Amino acid sequence: MVERKRIEIPEGVKVKESVGEEAEFPFDISPMYEGERIRKGDMYVELGGPSQPGFELVMALPMDQVEDMKVTLIGPDLDEMEEGSTYPYAMIYYIAGEMVETDLEPVIERRNHDFQNYLEGYMHLNQRYDIWIRIGKNAIKKGLKSLIQIAKATMMLYKNELPFIEKIEAVYITDKDLVEKLLNELAMPIFEERDARVEALSDEDVDEFYSCTLCQSFAPTNVCIVSPDRPSLCGAITWFDGRAAAKVDPEGPNRAVPKGELLDPIGGEYSGVNEFAKQESGGEYERIKLHSFFEYPHTSCGCFEVIGFYMPEVDGIGWVHRGYAEPAPNGLTFSTMAGQTGGGKQVVGFLGIGIAYFRSKKFIQADGGWYRTVWMPKELKERVAKYIPDDIRDKIATEEDAKTLDELREFLKKVDHPVVKGVVRPVDGQKITNGWVEEEEEAEEAVEEVAAEAAPAASAAQPAAMQPMPMQMPGFQLPALQMPAPSAAPAGVKLIIKDAKITIDKVIVRKAEKEKKGGK
Amino acid sequence: MTVIAVAGKGGTGKTLVSALLVNFISEHTTSVLAVDADPDSNLPEALGVEDQLKKTLGEIRELFQVSRDEMGTMNKEQWLEGKIYAEAICECPRYDLLVMGRPEGEGCYCFANSLLRGVLKRLMRHYDYIIIDTEAGLEHFSRKTIDTADYIIIVTDMSRKGLATAKRIKGLAEELKLNFKKIFLIANRIASEDAEKTIRKFAEEEGLELLAVLPYDSSVAEVDLRGDPVSEIDKNSEVYKKMREVANLMLNLSVEAR
Repeated sequence: MVERKRIEIPEGVKVKESVGEEAEFPFDISPMYEGERIRKGDMYVELGGPSQPGFELVMALPMDQVEDMKVTLIGPDLDEMEEGSTYPYAMIYYIAGEMVETDLEPVIERRNHDFQNYLEGYMHLNQRYDIWIRIGKNAIKKGLKSLIQIAKATMMLYKNELPFIEKIEAVYITDKDLVEKLLNELAMPIFEERDARVEALSDEDVDEFYSCTLCQSFAPTNVCIVSPDRPSLCGAITWFDGRAAAKVDPEGPNRAVPKGELLDPIGGEYSGVNEFAKQESGGEYERIKLHSFFEYPHTSCGCFEVIGFYMPEVDGIGWVHRGYAEPAPNGLTFSTMAGQTGGGKQVVGFLGIGIAYFRSKKFIQADGGWYRTVWMPKELKERVAKYIPDDIRDKIATEEDAKTLDELREFLKKVDHPVVKGVVRPVDGQKITNGWVEEEEEAEEAVEEVAAEAAPAASAAQPAAMQPMPMQMPGFQLPALQMPAPSAAPAGVKLIIKDAKITIDKVIVRKAEKEKKGGK
Repeated sequence: MTVIAVAGKGGTGKTLVSALLVNFISEHTTSVLAVDADPDSNLPEALGVEDQLKKTLGEIRELFQVSRDEMGTMNKEQWLEGKIYAEAICECPRYDLLVMGRPEGEGCYCFANSLLRGVLKRLMRHYDYIIIDTEAGLEHFSRKTIDTADYIIIVTDMSRKGLATAKRIKGLAEELKLNFKKIFLIANRIASEDAEKTIRKFAEEEGLELLAVLPYDSSVAEVDLRGDPVSEIDKNSEVYKKMREVANLMLNLSVEAR
C-alpha cells in the first residue's frame, strides 16, 4: 500500500498558511449553485482542466498528524494570477477521525465535487486527475481574494455534512512543478492502488448490494441486483454506481439491499436479496441466485447486452451479444431469444447479462463458468478474451468454428472441451455434468439418472410460474409426469406449470427416431 | 430560467425564427443557451457557429455507452457532466449552444438517459433564457430529457401540412403536460392578404396567439435556403424587424413572469 503521509514542502516555494474557521465568506453557499457553468468570457481564472495538470486527493491520516482547519497554499494565489489564464491545481485533504479509514478515502474525495459546486461563482468538473475548475469574475467582484477561502468553505462543508470527519486539513497547490511531481509520485499510485482494490472487491467484502428498477417501466417484475461480482444486465451500472446513486436518492431507482444471510455461497443466494426480489416482483419470484444459470437465475429485463442460451445437444452454454445479427448455433438470433426472455422473467435456459459480468470472478460459477461455455461470437470473445482462463479460451467456438449444432459438436469433440467428458466446476472441484455419452443405451440411462436427481429440486421449486418456452427446448422436465423428455440430454432445466388445466386425449409412447436423439 | 421552444414542420422556417431569437435575446444577456433538438435542422449553421462545435450530446452518450465498462469506480454522472460541459456545450461569444444530435442506437439507454436528465436539469436552471429548436414530435420533451417549456412558438407557412402540423404540436404539448404559460403561432412566408386572413382564422380557431406574420422576402428565403447565418439578413427587412419585436415581447413576458 502506498504510504499515507503529509507531503513535503520543497524549499523556495511560496507558501501561505491559515488556521481556524472563517467567520464569513464573500460568496453564497448552497446546493442551488450545482451545475452552474462559468462561461469563458465570464471567467476570472481556470484551474486544471484540459491544458494544465491537476488532481484532488483525500488521504486518511492518524489524528495527531492532522491540524484541524488549517490551509496551506503553495504557489500563486488568486490575486497574483493573470485574468483569463489557466493554472495547475492540486487539492489535497488530510482527514482524521475515529471512523475514518483508508477505504473511505474515495467516497470522501468524491464529495469535493458536490461541496465545491455549492460555492457561488466556482465551477468544479470531473474527478481525480481530470479536475477542471473555473472561478467567475463575479466571485472576485464580490470579494473572493484567496483560494484559502475556497478551502475553508469546502472543509466547513465536509465537517457539517460528514460529521465522522473529526479533523480536516487542506493543502492547495498552484505551483506547476509541485503539482506535477505529486500527481506522478503520490496521487497516481494511490489511484491505481484503489482501482486494483476495486477489481479485487467481491460480494463477500460488502454488506449491501444495490437494486436497479430503472427498467421496471418495460419489465415490471424485473429486479436487477447489482453486486461487486455482478454488474447490471444493461452493462451500465456497477456496484459503485449503485452506491453513489443510493446515497444521493435512497428511495430512487437504486436502493440499498442488505445482503442478509448467505444461503448458497456457490450459487450466490442471499436471504436479503430473496426478500427484496419477492417484494419488488410483487411476489412473482422468491429466490434469486446471482451466479447461477440454471437454478433460480437472475431475472432478465430486456436491456441486457448479452444473452446466454443452454444447448442441451452439447450440454453447454452459448452467449450472443446484441450486435451479432446472425442466428446462434441453436438457430435463434439474439432478438428472438431476447424477445422470449425479456420482460423481467426468470427463464431457465436463458440468461441476460451485461458484458462486464464476463469479467467477474464468479461468472456463473455454480454452473461451471467459462468451462461450461461452448460458443460466442468472435467479436464478443475478443472483447472479453483476457478474462477467459488460458486453458479454456481456445476451446470456446466462434462463428468461424461452428455455425450449427453439428459443427459445434464436431468442434467441441476436436478440441476436447470439458463438456464432452464432463465439466468440473472450479469453484469447489465438483463434477457437475456427465459429459456426452455416445452409445444410445447409455444415453438413456444417463437421462434417467439426471432426471431422478433433478426431481427433488423441481418439487422444491418456487411457486412462481416459469414461462414455458414456445421454441423447441429439449430437456424440459415435467415434474408431475416424471418422464424424461424423449430427446433429452442431461437435465438441469425444469418447467413448472402453475394453475394449468391440461387435457390429454391420448398418450403414445414409442421409441424416438434416431435423428432426434441428442440432436445428432 | 425561461424556456422557449420553437417547433414546426420542417422547412417552415423554425430554425430561422430560433436563430433570430437567440441573436436578439443574447444582445440583452449572455445567459442564453441555444439548443438544437432537431436532428434534421441546422441551427449551428443558421447561427454561423458550426465550426466551433465539438460534439453533440448524442455523440457523448454513445461514447459513454462504449467507455462505461472501463470506468471502474469513476462516478459516471460526473464523467458525463464533465464531457458535456467540456465538449458538447459550444461557447459562442454571446451564448452557449448545445446540439442534441443523433437519436439513440441499439441497447439500453435507461441509465445513460437517467444521468443525462440530471445533468441537463442542473445545467439548464442557471441560464436566464433557453431557446430550443425542436422537431414537431417534441421528442426530447416526451422523453423528459428536457422537462419544461414556458413558451411554445409554433412556426408555420401557409401550406396545409404546416397548419396540420401546428395543430398536432399544440395537442402534443398539452398531452405532455409541459406546463407552458403560453403557446404562440408565427406565420412565415405569407405572400398575400388572403393567406394572412386564413392564418388569422386558423390561429383563432385553434386557440393559438398569433405572434407575427412574416412576409415572403426573397432575400431572407435565399439566406435560409443557402444555410447562411441569419446575421446576414437585411436589417431593414420586415422579417428582421418583426422578429426583433417578437424577441422583445418574449423578454418582456419573461421579466413579468419573474
